[in-house]
Amino acid sequence: MKKIIKITSILSAVFLILPHVGYSQEVQQVQASSYFTNALFNVLFLVILLLLALIAVVASVVKNVADSEYVKEKLKRIQEKKKNESAKTLGILALFLLAFQSGFAQEPAQVAAVNDWLIGGLDMFTFFGMVFVILCEIAVLIILVNILKTVLKSDKEKVAVAASVKIEPKKTILDKLNASVEVEKEKDILLDHDYDGIKELNNDLPPWWKYGFYLTILIAFVYMIHYHGSKTGDLQIAEYDKSIEKAKAEVAEYMKNAAGNVDESTVKQLEGADLATGKELFIANCAACHGKAGEGTVGPNLTDKFWIHSGGLADIFKSIKYGWVDKGMKAWKEDLSPMQIAQISSYIRTLQGTNPPNQKAAQGDLYVEAAGAPGDSLAATTDSLQVDSLKIVPLDTLKKK
Amino acid sequence: MEVQVEKFQYDNKIVKWFAYATMLWGIVGMLAGLLAALQLFLPALNFELPYTTFGRVRPVHTNAVIFAFVGNGIFMGVYYSLQRLCKTRMFSDMLSKIHFWGWQLIIVLAAITLLLGKTTGKEYAELEWPIDILITLIWVVFGWNMFGTILRRREKHLYVAIWFYIGTFITVAMLHIVNSIEIPVSFWKSYSWYAGVQDALVQWWYGHNAVAFFLTTPYLGLMYYFLPKAANRPVYSYRLSIIHFWALIFIYIWAGPHHLLYTAVPDWAQSLGVVFSIMLIAPSWGGMINGLLTLRGAWDKVREDAVLKFMVVAVTAYGMATFEGPMLSLKNVNAISHFTDWTIAHVHVGALGWNGFLTFGILYWIIPKMFQTQLYSKKLANMHFWIGTLGIVLYAVPMYWSGIMQSLMWKDFTPEGQLKWQFMDTVNEMIPFYAARAAGGALFLVGALLMVYNLIKTVKIGTFLPNENAEAPALSKTYTKHAGEHWHRWIERKPIQLMVLSLVVVTIGGLIEFLPTFLVKSNIPTIASVKPYTPLELHGRDIYIREGCYTCHSQMIRPFRNETARYGEYSKAGEFVYDHPFQWGSKRTGPDLARLGGKYPDFWHYNHMLDPTSMSPGSIMPSYPWLFEDQVDVASTVGKIKAMQKLGVPYPEGYSEIAAKDMEKQANLIAANLKKDGITTLPDREIVSLIAYLQRLGKDIKAEKVATK
Repeated sequence: MKKIIKITSILSAVFLILPHVGYSQEVQQVQASSYFTNALFNVLFLVILLLLALIAVVASVVKNVADSEYVKEKLKRIQEKKKNESAKTLGILALFLLAFQSGFAQEPAQVAAVNDWLIGGLDMFTFFGMVFVILCEIAVLIILVNILKTVLKSDKEKVAVAASVKIEPKKTILDKLNASVEVEKEKDILLDHDYDGIKELNNDLPPWWKYGFYLTILIAFVYMIHYHGSKTGDLQIAEYDKSIEKAKAEVAEYMKNAAGNVDESTVKQLEGADLATGKELFIANCAACHGKAGEGTVGPNLTDKFWIHSGGLADIFKSIKYGWVDKGMKAWKEDLSPMQIAQISSYIRTLQGTNPPNQKAAQGDLYVEAAGAPGDSLAATTDSLQVDSLKIVPLDTLKKK
Repeated sequence: MEVQVEKFQYDNKIVKWFAYATMLWGIVGMLAGLLAALQLFLPALNFELPYTTFGRVRPVHTNAVIFAFVGNGIFMGVYYSLQRLCKTRMFSDMLSKIHFWGWQLIIVLAAITLLLGKTTGKEYAELEWPIDILITLIWVVFGWNMFGTILRRREKHLYVAIWFYIGTFITVAMLHIVNSIEIPVSFWKSYSWYAGVQDALVQWWYGHNAVAFFLTTPYLGLMYYFLPKAANRPVYSYRLSIIHFWALIFIYIWAGPHHLLYTAVPDWAQSLGVVFSIMLIAPSWGGMINGLLTLRGAWDKVREDAVLKFMVVAVTAYGMATFEGPMLSLKNVNAISHFTDWTIAHVHVGALGWNGFLTFGILYWIIPKMFQTQLYSKKLANMHFWIGTLGIVLYAVPMYWSGIMQSLMWKDFTPEGQLKWQFMDTVNEMIPFYAARAAGGALFLVGALLMVYNLIKTVKIGTFLPNENAEAPALSKTYTKHAGEHWHRWIERKPIQLMVLSLVVVTIGGLIEFLPTFLVKSNIPTIASVKPYTPLELHGRDIYIREGCYTCHSQMIRPFRNETARYGEYSKAGEFVYDHPFQWGSKRTGPDLARLGGKYPDFWHYNHMLDPTSMSPGSIMPSYPWLFEDQVDVASTVGKIKAMQKLGVPYPEGYSEIAAKDMEKQANLIAANLKKDGITTLPDREIVSLIAYLQRLGKDIKAEKVATK
């Protein structure tokens, strides 16, 4: 019996440590410190710890129960019968272990590929790794509870035997855990209270409850000292500032190598698949105000030659990126990546002259393509005054003509 | 010495009335909840009528379930058990009647006024000042009747259930009075005496403890009577009762600020909210342990008896909810859960499981008793149990799922540093979960209807016993202590002292948390650029409150990267100093509005309020067509400005006289602005003032930024 418990405890410990070992060498080193700032990670971590504590409690209960002489004897008999079964259980556990290990051996290679697949700021790998650990812990718990059940069964048998030979009733596991007087002997602790027939027992406070209460009080003091006494903990604004710094650094690091790092001074007309993406993004984000074909509804028509804020590629890029808030165009830079804005801008440029139905009346000024490459606004803005004056003809003067 | 046995009668009639009211309002409250749940994925069910929009239906649901269903449930249980625990009839049948009819009158008035949009805009305390006063009076009648009964008792000691009743009475009185301090503007309009951060602290001290002292302590009292009665077992541990009662009422009061984590409330207050929530686990679980372990040796009965089944699930749900609560109070968990459906799931485990199931259990037990018969159908009761349990699961699981999912989507960034999801994307994801939740709620309601049918049938086959004969020896004036008696027995003989001590215990937490924010200025640093609302904006704000916008929109940007990226600079305490009442909200079914001002042009808001989907495809927000027809009540401007001045809002002296002129000027500007975009509207319509308010939101601090640049 003890052997089984030992093995299961060791196995569960292995389960817990394993992912950290296998993983930390490859990936976690870089991020180890950052994990604890992730809320989801903390939650999962807490669950793992709680389950571990639970396993420890149940295991110790099993151990205590198994210690009693009678149960030992009883177990011997059961063990004979069950030998095969426990062997099976161990076999299954070993299988788990193997699968787990081989999984980890392969996966670091894929990390880069799945890394952008985030669940609550955790990469998929860590997330499912932790979920797996939790599942394993639950499996261990189930096994332990099964063992407990077996023992309990024998306990019941014993009570039956005990009754026939008039031995003192044995405490149940629950009674032991709660330090309560067993039901059979409750007369000893029955108080003389009687309220409309309701009587009261004088059971002691369950020790786990009492010490749990003390523990929470201790935690309260430690918490207050940590954040407000020694001020070693970050309060919310400090926490916020750090998270912003960290995010900035991460984005900068990413942008160093990333394609699509464009802004209004470097944006180029895109072609092909980018235009298709641009169209999708346009329908999803812009069509509500500019119409599905860019014909304009609440927002201006994007298919004609008249532009309120100029119609060069860079101009459109800027209008999307920073918005014209007073006129109802929001800034999209927090919602869309530079590359996405470039894709939408490029797509909008292709709408010129498509002449869709239900067009909104012209707004703004006539925009004439600058002498440089079409849409290359860098050229346009650096061009001479002469080109500028060619480019923009005020709408009023145009109408008069 | 001769012991004289006295004969007397218990009043069952009042219990019966409260039981009927409990069932009636339970069904009404659940129906309102079901409508609100359906509206979230079928916006057409708002019917484009002011009285049936979500913002007004939701407060009707919460108020009906808390104060009408659970409220009547408390009184039913208290009137039944108190008489028997004190071995006497209720102190006064007249007071009982006044209490009953007064409470029903409050409920009816509440339902009507809330649907008419008469609301203070403070969650779970929405009722306007005349009803607040009525509640106070009726509550005093209840207390008077209760103490009269207790003082005439034929039982020397007070049973633990009565400690909980007394604690409930005194604490609810304190919470209600302190949180309802408001300045009336007219008969159905008032402004909270507190503003911004202080209002938030007082409101959530109240809101949290409404849960504690209206939904928890009285029901623990009921559990202590009806569970041992139904199981016919002695209470597990007297010692545990004592420690968990005092610890619970002392610690509960402090935990309010856990509703305001990561907000502009001072850090120290938040931390107190966190640590007291953690310390609350054990005292709460004390109740659960004492309930469940009382059933030791009676588990075979639980298998058979529907009453006990309901009670076991109720106590278990209580244990789950009171463990989850402290977990949600941890700042890193709260960062995920707050403003999402997770909170909704959490409260419904409590409301459906703990309050609902315990009420059902008591009803199934009490009605056959009073009608001297057996329950009409045990089979139906068992069916109710399973349907109800399934309903709870089907309600809670989708809400947990959607809550966590939405929160994670809000927090998601692309590697380029952009928010990955538009708010609308996250709303679209919620729709199937909202539908599943409504199905769960509907199941729970079906179960409750089965119960009503079953109990009506029981009533029909039984004979009601209005006055139940009982006898008990008269109480002797003298008392000799037993040897080795527990020290706590002393206070069990002294109801007044028990009440006073409870009051002292529950006052401490509130005082320590409020006073510094009122007295120490550094807690709410003022911001020079934050100015009072213009009269037009004030009117707009009142419309915002009237329509219950706060039931779906927050005005509190927390200091998280995703929130500042989505909504702008995080909210500061000094921004809310003129907000009587505060409108931080507790749920983001729609996006935060704290910095809405200037984000969209006037015509966007105009179109959006008329048909939200025109500006924001996929929106589940209702339309507000009446705002485009109804005129702003200009005549009330003087009163509103004067009330604000009394509250310390620094309008110039005599401003109330010229306010109307300022108002007209600003309204004309907005109307002209709309005209530019081809929208013709009269400047005196409510929509114009609402636009003025929405365009003001969060702008003061932006102005300062520009100025300092």
